[in-house]
Amino acid sequence: MIRRARLAAAAAALAGAAVAALPDAALAHGLVGRQDLPIPRWLFAWGAAVVLVVSFVALAVLWPRPRLEEAREKRVLGVPAALEALAGVVGILAFAAVVYAGLAGTQTATANLAPTVIYVIFWVGIPFASPLLGDVFAAFNPWRAIARGVAWIAGRVAPGKLPAPMAYPVWLGRWPAAVGIFGFAWVELVFVDRDDPTTLAILALLYAAVQLVGMSLYGIDTWTRRADAFAVYFKLFSKLAPLHWRDRALYRRPPLSGAPRLDAVPGTVALLSVMIGTTSFDGLSQGDLWTGTNGIAPTLQQRFLNLGFSQETALQITFTIGLLLMVCFVGALYRLGVAGMGSIGGRHRPGELAQRFAHSLIPIALAYVVAHYVSLLAYQGQAMASLASDPLGDGSNLLGTASATIDYNVISATGIWYVQVAALVLGHAAGLTLAHDRALSVYPRVRDATRSQYWMLAVMVGFTSLGLWLLSASAQS
Amino acid sequence: MTSPESTPPGGDDSGRGLSGVQRAGIVLGALAVLLIVFVVLQGSDDSGSPSSSSQTTATQTATTTTTTTEQGTSTGSTSTEDSTTGSTTDDNGSGGGGSDDDAGSETGTTQTQPAAPAVRTVRVVNGQPQGGVSRLEYKKGDRVRFKVQSDVADEIHVHGYDLMKDVTAGGSVSFSFTASIEGRFEIELEDAGTQIAELEVKPS
Repeated sequence: MIRRARLAAAAAALAGAAVAALPDAALAHGLVGRQDLPIPRWLFAWGAAVVLVVSFVALAVLWPRPRLEEAREKRVLGVPAALEALAGVVGILAFAAVVYAGLAGTQTATANLAPTVIYVIFWVGIPFASPLLGDVFAAFNPWRAIARGVAWIAGRVAPGKLPAPMAYPVWLGRWPAAVGIFGFAWVELVFVDRDDPTTLAILALLYAAVQLVGMSLYGIDTWTRRADAFAVYFKLFSKLAPLHWRDRALYRRPPLSGAPRLDAVPGTVALLSVMIGTTSFDGLSQGDLWTGTNGIAPTLQQRFLNLGFSQETALQITFTIGLLLMVCFVGALYRLGVAGMGSIGGRHRPGELAQRFAHSLIPIALAYVVAHYVSLLAYQGQAMASLASDPLGDGSNLLGTASATIDYNVISATGIWYVQVAALVLGHAAGLTLAHDRALSVYPRVRDATRSQYWMLAVMVGFTSLGLWLLSASAQS
Repeated sequence: MTSPESTPPGGDDSGRGLSGVQRAGIVLGALAVLLIVFVVLQGSDDSGSPSSSSQTTATQTATTTTTTTEQGTSTGSTSTEDSTTGSTTDDNGSGGGGSDDDAGSETGTTQTQPAAPAVRTVRVVNGQPQGGVSRLEYKKGDRVRFKVQSDVADEIHVHGYDLMKDVTAGGSVSFSFTASIEGRFEIELEDAGTQIAELEVKPS
């Protein structure tokens, strides 16, 4: 009973914090001069209603025995080694082209290939492709391809003389990836020079260098699976895919069924909190609560100005704090649900449950990405036509498409709204399904499993409502 | 409300078994509820915000049903941030034919057009927008007309529409174009990189 009361108090405190945390923004994610219109009130209300109904229907209809946990894979076709090597070479060439464009091309962000490839094709395009096609990035991963190439040559030149990799510390888990993704989000959402092509190219080189060092110390596969932030990030999304590439072959499986196989090592929940939290902050930072005249950001920024920081620094500090708080808020909301689950059945510690249910957050994170970035991909993605022909912005026309422009009417604003709401609702349903399935294998009694899911339901409804609210007219000015 | 069917061990959920038909029933029932909610919510915006929205509704209908430039600009000048603008817009965005009639009947009673449908002016003082970044609101198909008066020489860039015009220090420059793209777009001093206004075009 006391435990319940404590949880309720914590929930109330979190809700209070959420309200207090809500404030006008001059910053938004990079590159584009177009932002989405906020979701109208009626659609917001409707979306929320769908979420609730879906949730309760799910409780009533979902299966009584774990299904996804035991799903089998079927081999579809093999992948020749030559193709694997070719994909690696393509990845390295693409990486080199982007870095070269960033360093040598024009410094106008929209006329240079680098920012659009990095922020749109890489950061958004791959997460859209991965849940459908599987982990496509793994094949093209440039730094991994370089490392494998070097290892192959070294193996030829001096067979058997390569030192064995060091043991990767268990406690480190996915923490390096969580830090890496937070770092990228910081550059994208906070850093004042985020659109600067040269800066981006240098950061890309630095990132690749760190990965090469990491791979040489801990082994290519171990490092890529745990610490290469982007490889880990894209792989998480690919776990939802009906296609699975491994051991030079392609397998098919039921959608979502890869997620329960997630090995939730330390840092996994942190990584997912970073993913959801940073995207949330992207939404929040465009709203009144954050950037409004009396919003949090101007107030905080003034504080830092008074401390003697420059305008720019004060703004970056303020936004960094916002980003951190949002990540912590998301993590705390999840832990709260897990703590609630821990009060049921009495045999499971919250820490253990947090790891065992972590995979149910993947669809939520994907839904946030789709809802926030679909318009960026649909519109700014078209810029690739002209940028591919004129990557340096020097007036060349390699493919004859340099004069292509962006058609902003490919999808109407109304169409974007529906995609956003649909993504959140589907992500919600998928998250619930995964959590339900896991609960059935965690709790021996179906009744306990169901009761534990009231808590997860509350958490999921919280995330989805937050997602909807961030996109809605209530949050945006 | 608990879940699923026949529980193998212990059977503590006896009686919870659901047949396939029952499950289908639940899903269909849920869909029906959603459909009703969808219709009700869309409808409620029409009747739900009659208090202060009559004037905006009037202007809106005017602008959606005709293409007169004068009325188009009046929308711009009355478009101060106002929640009812949001909700009435939504009707037209989604409701299809029905809501036009509703709004039309109101138009007759409250057709009090603002006296001076002046072209919105964005003033730039010391390279910064006077009074902060203001929003120019239109609906798709409207005529967008505004003027930028600047004390610094620069190029004015309307993003998305990709319109550029030079302005001299102390001079002014006027824009007039059809709102053909939905969304929110930056209007900025291109060289300085300073945003001076935001163009908002909602679905008509």
